[in-house]
Amino acid sequence: MPATGTPGGLRPDLDGVFRREYPRVVAVAARVLGSRDSAEDVAQEVFLAFNRSAVPAGEAAGWLSVAAAHTALNLIRSGRRRAAHERTAAARGLPVVPDVADDVVTLEERGRVRAALGRLPRKQAVALVLRHSGLSYAEVAAALDLSPGSVGTTVRRAESALREELTRHASSH
Amino acid sequence: MRHPTDGVLRRLIDEPAGVAETDRRHVAGCPQCLAALAATREDAALVGAALSADAEVDVPAAWTRLSTAAAGSTSPARDRIPARRGRLGDLVRRPAAAALAVGVVLAGAGTAAANDWLPIFRTEEVAAVGLRSADLLALPDLAAYGDVELTGDGDLRSVPDAETAATESGLDVPEVDALPAGVTGGPVYQVGGQVTATFTFSAERAARAAAEAGEALPTPPPGLDGSSVRLVAGPGVAQVWTTTTGAPGLIVGRAVAPTAFSSGIPFETVRDYLLSLPGLPDDVAAQLRAFTADGSTLPLPVPSDYVTTSTEDVDGERATVLATRDRMLAAVVWVADGELTVVAGPLDTDEVLTVARGLR
Repeated sequence: MPATGTPGGLRPDLDGVFRREYPRVVAVAARVLGSRDSAEDVAQEVFLAFNRSAVPAGEAAGWLSVAAAHTALNLIRSGRRRAAHERTAAARGLPVVPDVADDVVTLEERGRVRAALGRLPRKQAVALVLRHSGLSYAEVAAALDLSPGSVGTTVRRAESALREELTRHASSH
Repeated sequence: MRHPTDGVLRRLIDEPAGVAETDRRHVAGCPQCLAALAATREDAALVGAALSADAEVDVPAAWTRLSTAAAGSTSPARDRIPARRGRLGDLVRRPAAAALAVGVVLAGAGTAAANDWLPIFRTEEVAAVGLRSADLLALPDLAAYGDVELTGDGDLRSVPDAETAATESGLDVPEVDALPAGVTGGPVYQVGGQVTATFTFSAERAARAAAEAGEALPTPPPGLDGSSVRLVAGPGVAQVWTTTTGAPGLIVGRAVAPTAFSSGIPFETVRDYLLSLPGLPDDVAAQLRAFTADGSTLPLPVPSDYVTTSTEDVDGERATVLATRDRMLAAVVWVADGELTVVAGPLDTDEVLTVARGLR
C-alpha cells in the first residue's frame, strides 16, 4: 500500500485538477498514440501518479501534460499497443482520426509519423506534442525547462524530421 | 539585418505576438524568409494533421474510474465498496440508513470544506446514501484542516417491526401507503444511533493544505484556531423493501436532522471562513452557505455531472429531488420539524415523489 497519508486514497485537490485537465491530458496522449482508448488508459495512469505525488496543484497542468507525453511515447516506442489499436480500427473499417485529416495524410503515413515520433530526441517529441495539443510557447517552455525562445526551434526541428520521414517514404514508393 | 532563426519563424505561425516587431517587419519584406515561413507552415500543418486524433472524453465516467482505482489502490477497506455496477448490490448487503448517512454527509460538508467528501460522494454516485457514516468521515481533507473525532454508533441494526424501530429511535416511523410497481412485501426495519463528529480547526494544518493547493491560507478569524465544531446527526430509522428479483426497491429513511454546535466562536463564522478556503468549488460553496446551525435548511451539494436536482413540494415542505443521469436511482430529501426524511430507490423521480407525498 503506497504511503500517501490520505486515508481515502485521494488528494484533496485531485477532483478539481482532474476536471480541469483530463480532456487535455487525453488529447496529449491521443496525439502520440492515435487512439482515444489508449490515450484514456495513459491519462488514468498519469492521474494516479499525480495523486501519489506531492506536485503542487498550481503546477499540475504542465506536469500532467509532460507526464502524458512521456508515458505515451514510452508506449509507442514499444510499438505494440499502437499497432494493435490501429489494426483493430482498420479491421472495423473505422477511421482512427477525423475524416478531414485523412485527405491530407493517409492512415499508413500516420503510423509512420507516430513511429518516427518515438525515435525523435525525447525533448523534441514532447515539445512537439505539447505545442500541437494547444499549450502556448510559454507553457511548453515552463513544462520542459526550456527558454521560450528555444521552443520554436525545438518544435521546428521535430516537424522537419517528421516531414522528412514522410517525404522519404513517398519518394521510395 | 540577419534573418530570424527557424524557431522565430515557427513561432510566427502560432504566436505572432510573441515575435519581436523588428523580426516581423523583416520577414514581411524578405523573400527568403517568406519562403522559409511558407515551408515551415506547410510542415506544421502536415505534422498537425498526422498527429490529430479523436479525443472526445466522458469526464464523469473517467473520474469514476480514477477515483475507484485510487481508492482501491490505497485503502484495502474500500475494496469492499463496489464501483458503478455494485451500487445496488451494496445497498442490499448494507442498506445503511439513507437518512442518517445523508445527514452525516451534509454535516461533514458544512464544516469541513467539502472538497474531500465530494469526491467520495462522486465515487459512489448517489449511492452515498449506502455508505456507512464511518466511511464518510474517514476522509482525507477533514484531517487537512484540523482534527476530526467521531463518536457514537452510526451503524444500523435490524429490528423486527415498526414499533420496535419507533421505540429505539424515538422517531415516528413513516408509513408508506402505496408501493411503486415492482416493489412488494414488507420492509426490513433498521435503526441507527446518534453520531457526533467533532471537528477542531488547526490553522497550521489548513495553511499546509492551502500551500499544497498552491495558494495562501486566508487569515483565520480571531479565536478560530483550536476551536471546535460539533455536529450531531441521528438517531435514524430506515425501512428497506426489496423487489421481486431480490434487489433493493425502495428505501424510506428518517433521522434527526444534523445540527452543528461550536465552542468559542459562532458556527456561522467558522462556516464562512471554511467556505473561503482554497479548493472549494464555487457551486458547492454557494450551496453550503445555506447551511445553518439549527439544521432547519438542507444544503445538498451534489455532483452535477452525475446527478440532476430539482425542487418539489412535499406536504408543504420544500424538498430536493435527485436523480442520477443514468436514471438508475432517484431520491427525494426534505427536512421538517428538525427531522430529515429520504425516499430513494432505483425508481424515477415521479415514483419517489408519489411515495414521499403518501407517507403517513
